[in-house]
Amino acid sequence: MKHLLEIENAHVYIGSFHILQGISLVVPKGEVTLLLGRNGAGKTTTMKSILGIYPPREGRIIFNEEDISNLSTHEIVGRGIGYVPDTRRIFGTLTVEQNLIVSRRKNGLKGEIQDRLDFIFDLFPDMKRFYKQKAKALSGGQQQMLAVARALMNDNDLLLIDEPTEGLSPLLGKNLIEALDKLTEIATILLVEQNFRTVSKLGDNYYIFDNGKIVHEGNDMGKLVADKDLVARYLGVSI
Amino acid sequence: MQKKLYSIRNSIEENPQTKTIIRITSILAVIIIGILLVIVGINTYTWNEFVVRASKSLVDGLALSMLLFLMVSGFFLIFGLCGVINFAHGAFFMLGGFMGYTIYIATEALFLDIGLFGTNYFLLSIVCFIVAALGAAGVLAVIGGGIEFFTIRRLYGNVIAQILLTVGFMYIITQVAEIIWGSSVISYFITPNSQIEYFFISGVLDFGGALKFELYRIFLIFLGLGVAALMFIAFRKTRIGLLIQAGIEDSEMVEALGTDIKKLLTIVFMLGAGLAGLSGAVLVPWIGANTGHGLTYLIYAFVIVVVGGAHYGRFEGTFFGALIVGLSMQFTAYFIPAFEGIIVFIIMVLILILKPGGLTGT
Repeated sequence: MKHLLEIENAHVYIGSFHILQGISLVVPKGEVTLLLGRNGAGKTTTMKSILGIYPPREGRIIFNEEDISNLSTHEIVGRGIGYVPDTRRIFGTLTVEQNLIVSRRKNGLKGEIQDRLDFIFDLFPDMKRFYKQKAKALSGGQQQMLAVARALMNDNDLLLIDEPTEGLSPLLGKNLIEALDKLTEIATILLVEQNFRTVSKLGDNYYIFDNGKIVHEGNDMGKLVADKDLVARYLGVSI
Repeated sequence: MQKKLYSIRNSIEENPQTKTIIRITSILAVIIIGILLVIVGINTYTWNEFVVRASKSLVDGLALSMLLFLMVSGFFLIFGLCGVINFAHGAFFMLGGFMGYTIYIATEALFLDIGLFGTNYFLLSIVCFIVAALGAAGVLAVIGGGIEFFTIRRLYGNVIAQILLTVGFMYIITQVAEIIWGSSVISYFITPNSQIEYFFISGVLDFGGALKFELYRIFLIFLGLGVAALMFIAFRKTRIGLLIQAGIEDSEMVEALGTDIKKLLTIVFMLGAGLAGLSGAVLVPWIGANTGHGLTYLIYAFVIVVVGGAHYGRFEGTFFGALIVGLSMQFTAYFIPAFEGIIVFIIMVLILILKPGGLTGT
């Protein structure tokens, strides 16, 4: 099987803290790979090291058969990666429309932009209603839709989605997961989620993080959900 | 005593009605002080004299405000996106003055030589002036961009180093200007061959009676408004304007969406320095080119930011701050000249005590 993204033995430091201590993982093309684990286990740092925000000091990150470990963030993203950060980080002073415009990597033709917008409105029909509003006036769920939509404004092969359901009501979270499910048809997804049950139907493969290391991996979500011992030990859910 | 004060303050903060009352009282207080000043003014001068002085202060004040606004918006942009407090900004403004002067004289000599405008000296001086303003803005944009690209770029995140560096550039630029131009002050009026007086001195808008205004000051108001409007539109309608706004909010995210943030920072530095150069160049006929301006106008920039509340990230704060500084300076210049140099600091002190967030801040 061909892998879209590979991380080989990456060691990542933030300041003097050794956060990721030699992680290796693969993200197969066309599938959804989950990064699971408790708060502070290193999931978000993994995403940020792929993006070059915290480049690995040791080890390599390979995207589409190219070593991207030493590239700067915009160069990495420019190779076809969309990022949906954990705290949404939408641009509050801009309108939804302007948020989407600045997310385009190139100006592009009007028709092409319209195609993308049609796709986004198809995914989130609600967005048409608040398209001209300032982003800071949106509700949490609407902001999350916008954060996902931003990553869809370019031709991206890989989407890095960090904690999409965080802070959303269960119903909104469910709707969003359904929308992400539709995205799997067009892109490969690397998804960080603390609440692994909400995404268990979505995932094809998973990696469990603990203290900056990968402690478990697999590709049978059903088996993971059933493994109470593992869940209690690493995912913070005691049953 | 202190406890009592705190409890009074708390009860004021908790009660929205008292807040409204305080707001209304402070607006009334400002109006009453204004009326009192007008009465004193009329009493000191005659009615006619008062009208002339007031109208001239208004026109001059607006003209100065608009240009200060252009300069400070450059300062604000650099601070907002790059996070750099650019202590060399006043020096950019000062150098813009010298550049504008030199380019004006050179272009004028060239045009006179080739006889481009014949004897239409009025048009000649306007065209040369615009060339000088754009030229100075361009040169300063290149200098500002160069400073960012070669030095500041390595020091993002290191605030102390940035301050030292930009303070250093302020002194270097000032000294270099003195070496190049050979004098700390130059003005168009000591250049006998210049045709500039046709436009700037003889050009008068006459509204009848004593109401005569120099064309140049009116021109400055519209120039300032025009550039401000252009910037306003560019920030809302162009991709790069939107990117700058987004970057001021969260530059890491802008980069994570695929924009080369370093390039954007250099562009903003060029824009900011260019605006300083432009405002310096168009103000020369009025205030002259003076190496002392580097420090003076840097301090004005700080005052405007603090008074307007732009340090809380409100861009419109620079506009209101510039209006207050410009108008108060000119009104005192015409009515209480002894206070001209310190009025802005008095206002700043009052605002810092009464409304620490500035006019638009919280």
